[in-house]
Amino acid sequence: MTQVARPAPRRLDAFELPSEPGNERLALARVAETVQGLGLSDSRLEKLKTAVAEATMNAIEHGNGNRAEIPVEVEVTQNGDEIIVAISDQGGEVSSTPKPAEEPDLLKKLDGGQSPRGWGLFLIRNMVDAMDITINGQRHTIWLTMRTGGAAHGEHV
Amino acid sequence: MASMCEAMTRVLPGAAVIELSGEVDGSAADVLTNAYQTAVGTHADLGTVVLDFAGVDYINSTGIALIVSVLARARAERRKVVACGLSPHYREIFDITRLSDFIELFPDLDHAVSQLTGPAA
Repeated sequence: MTQVARPAPRRLDAFELPSEPGNERLALARVAETVQGLGLSDSRLEKLKTAVAEATMNAIEHGNGNRAEIPVEVEVTQNGDEIIVAISDQGGEVSSTPKPAEEPDLLKKLDGGQSPRGWGLFLIRNMVDAMDITINGQRHTIWLTMRTGGAAHGEHV
Repeated sequence: MASMCEAMTRVLPGAAVIELSGEVDGSAADVLTNAYQTAVGTHADLGTVVLDFAGVDYINSTGIALIVSVLARARAERRKVVACGLSPHYREIFDITRLSDFIELFPDLDHAVSQLTGPAA
């Protein structure tokens, strides 16, 4: 059987942002520009932008505690038909992606049984094809994977 | 952080329209709360609040939380909330979060208003 060599992952971009509220907009704009022309449909690009914004917001707020001097690091790579965005902070064991005690439940939120907040991680999971988290010492990274031409949760193509 | 969200309010027969523009995120809390208060404050009998998102280019999770808060208040006051002008992406987010189970969605303000006020006499 002949094996076809898979191309090595290719780094498309890497940048840092000060941990200041609102800078997630800079991250999503730059990632969108980086992945332009790689085959993501408009709707899947919008999903990736939302996931990047939410993950960056978590990194700024929860991971780095809004301390501007601690940067959020963003790296974009392409591995075959996968676009992978890695967003790192220095939150370590203090997860930058707070895990709510339970899944967001709109009815409970409307009735006061849950905080109106707590949608970030839920949105991320529903926007991308895969989401992984790694912790290495203080370095906390969320990995967002989006396949070009694929379909995220519940999406019709 | 200064809000990048603006809101204009106008009252129609039986409904108040809050036209939003810019970014609906956590910094929009005062804008949205004040707009709702302006919309219903002098019209206690208003049955419906229309959120028009046609001028909105960004909604994040904290913005979703604000919309949940507005919806919760409206429900407590026995008012209906409808929305219009959402892009396909944000319509999908309204579906995923189940907001669309509680907020009827219209493509644009004309559709929302014609549905709410009925055919012209």
